[in-house]
Amino acid sequence: MSVFLQPLQTVTVGAGGVATISFASIPQGYTDLVVKCSLAASGAATSVNGTMYLNGNNSNGSFTNLFGNGSGASSSRVSGYMDVVTTPGSTSTANTFSSNEIYFANYTSSNYKSIISDSVNENNTAAADQVLRSILWSNTAAINQIQITCTNGSWVQYSKVSLYGVLRNGI
Amino acid sequence: MSMYPIATTTVGAGGATSITFSSIPQNFTHLHLRAFTRGVVSSGTNIPMQFNGDGTSGNYITHYVGGTGAATFSGSTGGNANIGWTMGTTDTANGFGASIVDILDYTNTNKNKTVRTLNGVVQDATTGTGLLGLWSGLWISTAAINSINISLSSTPLFAQYSTFQLYGITTA
Repeated sequence: MSVFLQPLQTVTVGAGGVATISFASIPQGYTDLVVKCSLAASGAATSVNGTMYLNGNNSNGSFTNLFGNGSGASSSRVSGYMDVVTTPGSTSTANTFSSNEIYFANYTSSNYKSIISDSVNENNTAAADQVLRSILWSNTAAINQIQITCTNGSWVQYSKVSLYGVLRNGI
Repeated sequence: MSMYPIATTTVGAGGATSITFSSIPQNFTHLHLRAFTRGVVSSGTNIPMQFNGDGTSGNYITHYVGGTGAATFSGSTGGNANIGWTMGTTDTANGFGASIVDILDYTNTNKNKTVRTLNGVVQDATTGTGLLGLWSGLWISTAAINSINISLSSTPLFAQYSTFQLYGITTA
């Protein structure tokens, strides 16, 4: 089996920041999608979540996470929205960005969509967040739009988010 | 296609204390590393990563969360950007730990560099005992990454057949 990773779109945030990063008109010809995110937020905090909208919808989402903060681990579950990344805010170590990957399996399927994200939010202190999320979007529509919205302030300059299509070709 | 092999290192007989990727091309957007590791040390050891020859302990910090099959763990440590845990000499023979590592925007001189790793090790194939973790490393430097060094502390070695594969990922 060969696997291809095809770059589709990249957003790099300019001066002034943006509240939401959007990928629209996503091609429907791939098997899976991957989003790689280097993000930081302007909100006055050391941990800021980004919540995800698919085709403009957030409320059909639910997720379970494994969370660590440098001193303890926990797991929790949420329904009614889809947090997908965790990032530094303005009180974190300067010039520091989170690293996140979001994987969308079978994004054109007519079944509900399963999504996995892994997210690390760095800070030069003993406390910093690492989050693994398993997300279900209870919607049968093919995904044609992805939005990641900052929940505290906006995404700061130099944040970069790249969307890739994954194509599996059997041989 | 956007993922290109840059270099691969496989440890030979006798082992190696250090793996270095130097003169890393600057024309990719992201770096991706796949490491399959076994340490010549009982029960394995963590895998420290440093960049551009910067050995200043205060310029690095690592955070992690994971599970052992029986409990969860979380912590932090300074000095390196760790990328997980190796298998060791007392673990199941011929087994290797796996670390899948991303370093996003590695040439951006406006950013400190954040290293994200998914790591898994099954130490006992009979019981399934092992470690699974999400590791996070911070290099407090805005310099573009041009070399990566992965060094075990002085006594442990990477065992023969440990493998490190570095890739570059583009966005166009």
